[in-house]
Amino acid sequence: MKIVILGIGQSLRSDDGAGLGAVHRWKETFPLTANNALLTASETELPGLELLNLLEGFDAAILVDAVQSTAKPGTIHKLREADILGFSETHQSAHGWGVAETLQLARRLNIDLPRNILLIGIEGENFSPGISLSQSICAALDEVAQVIEDSIKIFQDIPDQ
Amino acid sequence: MKNIEVPALARVEGEGALYIRLKDGSIAEVELNIYEPPRFFEGFLEDRYFQEVPDITARICGICPVAYQMSSVQALEAALGVQISKQARDLRRLLYCAEYIESHALHIYMLQGPDLLGHESALSLAEVAPDVVKGALRLKKAGNDLLKAIGGRSVHPVNTCVGGFYRWPDVKAIKDLLPALEWALQASIETVKFASGLKYPDFEMDYEFVALTRPDEYAIYDGEILSSKGNRITVDEFENEYIETHVRHSNALHSHTIASETTYFVGPLARLNLNYEQLRPIARKAADESGLRLPLRNPFKNLLARAIELVEVCDVAIEIIENYAPKGPSFAPISIKEGQGSGASEAPRGLLYHRYIVDDRGMIRFAKITPPTAQNFAQMEADLWKYAPSVLDLSHEEATLACEHLVRSYDPCISCATHFLKLTVDRA
Repeated sequence: MKIVILGIGQSLRSDDGAGLGAVHRWKETFPLTANNALLTASETELPGLELLNLLEGFDAAILVDAVQSTAKPGTIHKLREADILGFSETHQSAHGWGVAETLQLARRLNIDLPRNILLIGIEGENFSPGISLSQSICAALDEVAQVIEDSIKIFQDIPDQ
Repeated sequence: MKNIEVPALARVEGEGALYIRLKDGSIAEVELNIYEPPRFFEGFLEDRYFQEVPDITARICGICPVAYQMSSVQALEAALGVQISKQARDLRRLLYCAEYIESHALHIYMLQGPDLLGHESALSLAEVAPDVVKGALRLKKAGNDLLKAIGGRSVHPVNTCVGGFYRWPDVKAIKDLLPALEWALQASIETVKFASGLKYPDFEMDYEFVALTRPDEYAIYDGEILSSKGNRITVDEFENEYIETHVRHSNALHSHTIASETTYFVGPLARLNLNYEQLRPIARKAADESGLRLPLRNPFKNLLARAIELVEVCDVAIEIIENYAPKGPSFAPISIKEGQGSGASEAPRGLLYHRYIVDDRGMIRFAKITPPTAQNFAQMEADLWKYAPSVLDLSHEEATLACEHLVRSYDPCISCATHFLKLTVDRA
């Protein structure tokens, strides 16, 4: 099972960088898993349609990104692909191609995507320009790292087809 | 008919709004309101070492970073009196081709195309014409892969420096892309057929077109500045002829010609009208077979011009790759001295001008950047004054969409265009 762990977000927009921070924390906390040759960990700020190329060739993908809903800041959401497609994008950048729309486009075009996609969303509170994460996010990073690690184990237990 | 209000323009890069206010059934006010905050790039280039400039200005745009690198390195090479090798110039042209491929494919199929095909977005287009959208993604990928092979990554490439390139890209990595580009060339020829078969809104303006020009090439990387009014100037003379001014409702500056204080048009339509003669045979054939009649004065047909340019850049890219055999140093030696220089190139959206003053330690003392979208804003508003009355009989929703489409046909890059010379605070 080839797995990609992808931190997504703009590091210059405060909590939007939560996904990048979480993937960093996971690498520091679980170096043994992170060095596994079947795992690829990468980071991307605003992938747009490039997301499709980043997911190409993997059996499973764990996307870690900041989200904004009504939950308490720092809340960790675990969304399967079907749940992600319901999320609408609010930021207006890279010509409007967000994660949800890009995945939706790929499914519509029958483009080869990983069979299993999980989005770990971290509820952010401050998305204004800046490079630091809010207290609530910092406090959640260890737990997010653990969720990433557990999710990898779950994916690794799925038999290859 | 109610006022036309689009508080957040979709399928454009950046944040802007469109307002058309009506009074007694006729247009009273047209406003492209650019509320994306100014980004102060020119300000924070000051006191930076000249060699940092191409990597900083590349960050102005995720769609056209190469354009910002190309105009800035040429301006700094002029300031420092550096001559680059022909090999380096060829590689820069190749890098620019890569950017055109990804940017034009995106705009044709994902941004403006859906308007002409009656779709809300590429997502809904994908439902009825999946092969079209799939082809578009493949075309875009060919461009992004080439960007990556030369510049290390597919968005915001590095490697370009004042004097040439930090290192020559791997020959095999570049040559391996030939099949993808051969495919892209054919797909581009098909794109011209696709574009010429679309039904464009009936609208023409008597534009002053402005673009770079060269006698020997379809000018993208460098050239002199030509206007359809006949004026031909060197890049150094740009600021004598064209000026940017503030308007109250926008965080982007608006451009005018100094002599007549009129608007002008930069971008694909301007390039094609002024430089058709310099197209290579394959692009010319594709253009002629599409039934092209110049001059094109319909801004919606920017899309057709982009399609013809796609053919041109794929053809050029293939030739440069076939001849790619780098020898010797990848950059010219530089002796630092005080100086001033300007540079211009044709970003996918139009003429992009830079000017820098460098001190005797190589530090930037002054930076000026005039992006294409800022030059086009005043023209877009002028277009809307003329176009909007013709759509007022449509339903409110259709009229709004028609005006939005007009703006989108310019492929405005609002993020690139938001900059201020200085910030004034009104405390009335």
